[in-house]
Amino acid sequence: MDNVYTRSKDIALIEILDRVLDKGVVISGDIVISVADVDLIYVGLKVLLSSVETMNRLKWAEVPCPESPGNL
Amino acid sequence: MKIYSYCIIDSKERIGDGHIRGLNGAPVYNIPYRDMGIVVNNLNGDIKDLTKSHLLEHENVVEMLMKNFTVLPLRSGALFNREEEVLHVMEKFYGDFRSNLDRLINKVEFGIKIIWSGDNIRGEILKDHASSSHFLAATKDSPGKMFIMGKFEKYKIERALKEKAEICIAFADNFLNRFAFEKKLEKLISTNLLLNAFYLVDKERQRDFKEAFELLRIAPDNFKYLFSGPWPPYNFIRMGE
Repeated sequence: MDNVYTRSKDIALIEILDRVLDKGVVISGDIVISVADVDLIYVGLKVLLSSVETMNRLKWAEVPCPESPGNL
Repeated sequence: MKIYSYCIIDSKERIGDGHIRGLNGAPVYNIPYRDMGIVVNNLNGDIKDLTKSHLLEHENVVEMLMKNFTVLPLRSGALFNREEEVLHVMEKFYGDFRSNLDRLINKVEFGIKIIWSGDNIRGEILKDHASSSHFLAATKDSPGKMFIMGKFEKYKIERALKEKAEICIAFADNFLNRFAFEKKLEKLISTNLLLNAFYLVDKERQRDFKEAFELLRIAPDNFKYLFSGPWPPYNFIRMGE
């Protein structure tokens, strides 16, 4: 099954960025409001948001769709 | 000095003996809280922006820990000023963290994307539809009625596209769902992205899941299948329930 891993590496970077930028436990953002006495900092939020948008644009540019129509 | 956080783990023990390095090469360590811990490293000086390199380091630390622990990955970028603040968060969300650790024990996440040629599929539906529809000829002398019927025809084509998508997705999901503990399916989120799916799989069933994917991949449908994983269970954490 090594070929599966090989193929997964091709899209690993996009998949990583999708997850670490946008998923997982969030202890900032909305939640930090409820932890009023804790001064959490969220680094480079604006930069991260623009990165997500950029990645979304790049994502599908890098993954061409099949040339021929589905044959179902 | 700030404290950068990576994930919650189901252990209050020391980890790595300083061998696991995180952002800026700093050693990561575990701050214990009751029966779990939060893995962090100290950062001297500020990080103004997270770079791609930082994000990869974040993921690398979480994946290394995933080998030996059940992990709840934190979204990248959360910094604390003091350990007391870390413990405050652990105390406040202990119940959430505990229930997630219990649910996600020995589980990993896989990502599946299925790409089809949406415009071509729509074109085929349109062609089939046009050849079997005679409404335009029948209503040529009634602009109002033509407008309504045109809208209705468009609705029927969109419905046919969704029905075809549902059939394709059900076919794929039937292969993969057998080995999944939980799943999340995002359908038709763009013209060509038929399915963006996440499956939560027991570590012991990873091989079965991959073999099921291989069977799906060779299906004669001209779709493109993308596979990734195993990942920490980023998409299966439930907070505040």
